[in-house]
Amino acid sequence: MIKDILTPKKIIFAPDAHTELRGQVSRSRNATIVSGALTGNSRSDISGISVRVYKNGVYGFSSMAEYSPEAAEAVLRAATENAEFMDLHVAKGKPALPCINSGYRALESDVDDCEQKLYVEFAREIDSYIAEKYKNLASRMIASREDSMEKLLRVSNGVDAHTCLQRSYVYVFMNSETPDGKPVELFKAFGGEGGFNANFSDPKALYEGIDALYENLMKKREGVYADAGEKTVVLGGMMTGMLAHEAVGHTVEADLVLGGSVAAHNLGKQVASEKVSLTDFANTAFGEKTPLPVYVDDEGVEASDARIIENGILVGYMNNRESAQHFGMTPCGNARAWAFSDEPLIRMRNTAVLPGSDKLEDIIASVEDGYYLIDSSNGQADTTGEFMFGVSMGYEIKNGKLGRALLDTTISGVAFEMLKTVDMVSDTVTWSSSGFCGKKQPMPVGMGGPAIRCKVIIGGR
Amino acid sequence: MEKYKNIAEFALNTAKELGVDTAHCSVTERETREFNVDGGEFSLFRTLFDRSVAITVFVGGKKGSVSINRFDEDAVRDAVANSIATANSGEPDDAWEIAAGNGEKSFVSGALVPDTEKLFFRTEELLNSIKERHPLIIMEQMIVTHSLRKTVYMSTTGNTYYTKRGSYVAELMYSAHRGEKATSFYGSDVTVDNLDTPFIECAMIDRELQDVENQIDTVSPEGKFEGTVIFAPACLAGTVFGNICDNFVSDMTILDGTSIWKDKLGSQVADERISVSFCPSDKRIVNREFYTGEGFISEDFDLIKNGKLNSFMLSQYVANKTGNKRAKNSSFSMIIEGGETPLDDIIKGIEKGVLIGRFSGGSPGTNGEFSGVAKNGFLIENGKIVSALSETMISGNLADMLNNLVAISKETLVDGSVVAPYMAFGGITVSGK
Repeated sequence: MIKDILTPKKIIFAPDAHTELRGQVSRSRNATIVSGALTGNSRSDISGISVRVYKNGVYGFSSMAEYSPEAAEAVLRAATENAEFMDLHVAKGKPALPCINSGYRALESDVDDCEQKLYVEFAREIDSYIAEKYKNLASRMIASREDSMEKLLRVSNGVDAHTCLQRSYVYVFMNSETPDGKPVELFKAFGGEGGFNANFSDPKALYEGIDALYENLMKKREGVYADAGEKTVVLGGMMTGMLAHEAVGHTVEADLVLGGSVAAHNLGKQVASEKVSLTDFANTAFGEKTPLPVYVDDEGVEASDARIIENGILVGYMNNRESAQHFGMTPCGNARAWAFSDEPLIRMRNTAVLPGSDKLEDIIASVEDGYYLIDSSNGQADTTGEFMFGVSMGYEIKNGKLGRALLDTTISGVAFEMLKTVDMVSDTVTWSSSGFCGKKQPMPVGMGGPAIRCKVIIGGR
Repeated sequence: MEKYKNIAEFALNTAKELGVDTAHCSVTERETREFNVDGGEFSLFRTLFDRSVAITVFVGGKKGSVSINRFDEDAVRDAVANSIATANSGEPDDAWEIAAGNGEKSFVSGALVPDTEKLFFRTEELLNSIKERHPLIIMEQMIVTHSLRKTVYMSTTGNTYYTKRGSYVAELMYSAHRGEKATSFYGSDVTVDNLDTPFIECAMIDRELQDVENQIDTVSPEGKFEGTVIFAPACLAGTVFGNICDNFVSDMTILDGTSIWKDKLGSQVADERISVSFCPSDKRIVNREFYTGEGFISEDFDLIKNGKLNSFMLSQYVANKTGNKRAKNSSFSMIIEGGETPLDDIIKGIEKGVLIGRFSGGSPGTNGEFSGVAKNGFLIENGKIVSALSETMISGNLADMLNNLVAISKETLVDGSVVAPYMAFGGITVSGK
């Protein structure tokens, strides 16, 4: 646990600027087995101190890979000088940031660290299970991973906090071949928030999911290409979550709005059907803890939910303190930094489309000729809202019934046009949290949503 | 450098005392100065003082790696002990191997002393030049950096390398706007070892800004057709050949046997006009790799020479596992040989096709199938660019595409990291709305 050597340094914060002083330890653990060979076996522990100073509309930042009182003083000096350099050269002359609620949030639980052999042995057991049971696979990869960010934050105005976000996963990749010899792949991530020890006490708990993954892969290897063109599709919850994050979420990050994203001209306008509402949840959603809860951000803002779309109307952006001042909005705690040497950027937390009242089986039954798209391998979107998602698992729908599995394909569209075609929304939300969002820095994020019926362009062959 | 050498020596001696057979260690200190521009305005100046100690040990054929960013003896001693515990958690594998017997070597490259005032001047000048020459551009984000890295690498197998590297990097992300109409975002970047030239004159930055300004009014081609696709240089290097490397010649796909080129060494895999090499010693490459992660001195090599597959991109470990040869460097200093045809002439020869600046799609499967959105592109009809593109997908197969080459341009992008021309391939499916 990080010791508090930072609080005494608050007395030397510059009086005419806003200052954020952060100490951080980032840990990562990895064991990777590729077709039986242990190719990755590593640990990393990175710590340091950073300071960001806001003065007259510009920021100065400095960091040092050392956690000591001397380092804190050195980076305080350097960040203040950097802010002064910018103020001298740029002279924006903006007013100070509005004051926010002050307070203190203590650490809820310490990092749950465990020995490296646990990651290796768990991966080895999973690998052995697959190797023995599914001998016809072309290859397999098992990765045990954990990462954590423990932060101690002291701010000149806002909430001082000691927080820790820890998550752990086991990734299972399986490869097979189509009858004509072309490789096909599927993967599944198990796990979520919390340490490896807590999340993975028994390898057998994963076997059911692994068996299902194999069955899906066998269906996929016999799969067909989707017909290219605009189609009616049912997006599963994982796909809807990807849509919420990539195609909508990024365009409503206020820094990208200021950079000219499509959301700049659409505040208060209808951007989706009335059945669509979207929120970036801080730490609690639908009465439960979110996949990756955030309580205080790295600017000292107590985290609250950021409402983005309500009944199809764009009602807000995600902000940091500076952009909230610009847009006249309330900051909700979206300013997050990845490493100790990173400055806080506007980032999502747990972004989700809200559930509706339809049943998934009714949605599928309503489609005469289309596709049920369940899982995505990746996704990208433009600041125009134009998106592309790889579809790694899906099925044909013919006359309301699921048909053949699909080979890898892609869907695309323009978010604020495609969302207007949503006419059915299921009553259950599926979350995912195993990936990283990339935006100058990586960041763990959660994303989720219900199944929705809509129209998109599908790639085909 | 003496300080870093002492830390590396301490780590290796500690490892030997604790019974390690073989070990190597990198001790690095890095200083970074960085200006950020957001929404077209200066926003941040940051200075970073970072360091790391990366230790890898081999105990009874078992490998363990630990990295920390503390230099004190207690932390380094703990890290060595942790790396041994990590190794002991694994299983023996005879394939691990690091370089031996190279002795002491020193490597120096680039701009070792940052000129912060001039870096600010060049950044401000770039912003002003863009406002003047390209008024429709909004700079979503620009990051301009100088970084200096000093590293001592040492191994128990008789290698000690001293490296100092410095460079300036400008990374731009922008889009063009007219009223409520906007283009897709696009990224330009360049790495240089001096600030003699205005950034806007480096690499293809000015041309790329102009291309994006010309992308505001778009069409989506009607229906689906099979045509020629010209990949702009950055897209060619990063997306086309980047994915070819990942899927067909990398450690992962050769080790797990999923590469469709696993039996193709020495065979024709591409049109004979295509040659791709990795050349960290090329003068056009600024951030040069001097040695690989396994301690081997980096040398240039051809990946594809006149269409023939000359090498995989393998580490010594995977080379030993699969009975292949190690690649002679592990950099991505990609040099794609240019052609003789001006881009305008390539366009003139295309009846129907597209030119794309960026591809938004997932990583192609190991079979090479790709499908995604053509971004920052133009529609070509009857030898002319007729409009910019939107909502257009392209799909095909990377391996097939290399044997369906139409032309390679004379113009090349030289951005300090890669050298690449425009390249046109036929037989690619283009689908619009």
